[in-house]
Amino acid sequence: MSTAQLTWTLFRKDVAIAARSREVLGFLVIFSLLCAVVFAFGFLREGRAAQEHVPGVLWVTLLFTNTLGLLRLYSADEEAGAWTLALRSIGGPTPLFWSKAMLQLGFSTIVCVVLWPAVAIFLDARAIAVHWTALALLLGLLGQALFGALCAGLLAQIRLREVLLPLVLYPLAAPLLLAGVKVTALALDGAQWPEMQSWLLLMLAFDAIAVVLCPWLFARAVT
Amino acid sequence: MPTADEGETAVLCARSVGWACEGRWVLLDATLALAPSSVTVVWGANGAGKSTLLKICAGLMQPDRGSVELSGRDFADLDPAAVASRVAWLGHEPALYLDLSATENLLLSSTLMGDPQPVARVLAALASVGVAVADCHRPVRGFSRGMQQRTALARMAMAPQSVWLLDEPATGLDADGVRILAHILDTARVHGRAIVVASHDFSFLGQADAWWQLRNGALTAGQPR
Repeated sequence: MSTAQLTWTLFRKDVAIAARSREVLGFLVIFSLLCAVVFAFGFLREGRAAQEHVPGVLWVTLLFTNTLGLLRLYSADEEAGAWTLALRSIGGPTPLFWSKAMLQLGFSTIVCVVLWPAVAIFLDARAIAVHWTALALLLGLLGQALFGALCAGLLAQIRLREVLLPLVLYPLAAPLLLAGVKVTALALDGAQWPEMQSWLLLMLAFDAIAVVLCPWLFARAVT
Repeated sequence: MPTADEGETAVLCARSVGWACEGRWVLLDATLALAPSSVTVVWGANGAGKSTLLKICAGLMQPDRGSVELSGRDFADLDPAAVASRVAWLGHEPALYLDLSATENLLLSSTLMGDPQPVARVLAALASVGVAVADCHRPVRGFSRGMQQRTALARMAMAPQSVWLLDEPATGLDADGVRILAHILDTARVHGRAIVVASHDFSFLGQADAWWQLRNGALTAGQPR
């Protein structure tokens, strides 16, 4: 059985568990909206929301929400020792990593689909060059899912993981956050490909490194 | 201690295994050789290192000294997945996904072990350990600890691996469950499995081929009195 088949098996299991409990995705969506509302109130100036804060609010809210989701990413595997079962599969730990990264990407994409329009409405943003922002979000969420699945997996058995996860993840996610904010700000200013090219390529390169490095590190660390 | 000949014919052989925790040697010089079609009991006081020894034999932990060999090949030279495909493990916890049903858990584990089973075989395995048909499709979160352990035993009964390591397998089982466990071990031995059981409950282990007491980090032959 190939790694891809085992990954698909574990991913379907994760989706089935998420669909049955439902709580995680619902909480993430509500948390992200609350976060956006708090930011919107925080950036009110003379009764008007400041549009220039849209990129920061969007990306920081996504990072906070993803952190919350990552803390629950391996919870079903930790219960009753199921973690050992998944790690000892014939494909080793790699399918477990990929299934978790896919699940996290799915969660964060759903949150993003709800959050993005909400932030635009709360902060009164114009819908300009949406496709560049969408591309940046896709690359940013992919990178966050890969590094997030790695960090959450490595810390899954550690008592202080709630505290340690942001400390480990945020420095790793910083380049993606910076580039994502830049691309979103440029897109809102009506900029085109030549101006945002370097930032998008940086995100792409970062994701390419994550695709190779994260599963390898995960497999090395958990075995 | 196993002789050199026993070590050569063994399916799994742990040689002078040592493991230390916070400066204390939990295992000092544990040597164990498992022959096909045999049941070996490892017993000893709480904290003697029984679970640690089994985890090392399952490839879940690495020894600080000594080695473990599978059919003559050192674990260090084997892929962890290759070890998992030969060595089945049942730890203190039942290792079940609590939001999945008993049937889904067994289908999942058989697929992860590279030996996907049809639903009919899974249902038969669950029936053989006394899980009612109506319970087979309920999330195991609603099961009692004993029923979860029976589900884990059904998974073990389907395991294709040649070496079985069971750590306190009678946990949570009632008298009927213990009889089922004894039957599963007996059947597995007849089918050539090399089985190790670490336990405090010896009532189901009358048919064991070897008894080893783990004391002061080393194994010595002998039954409990």
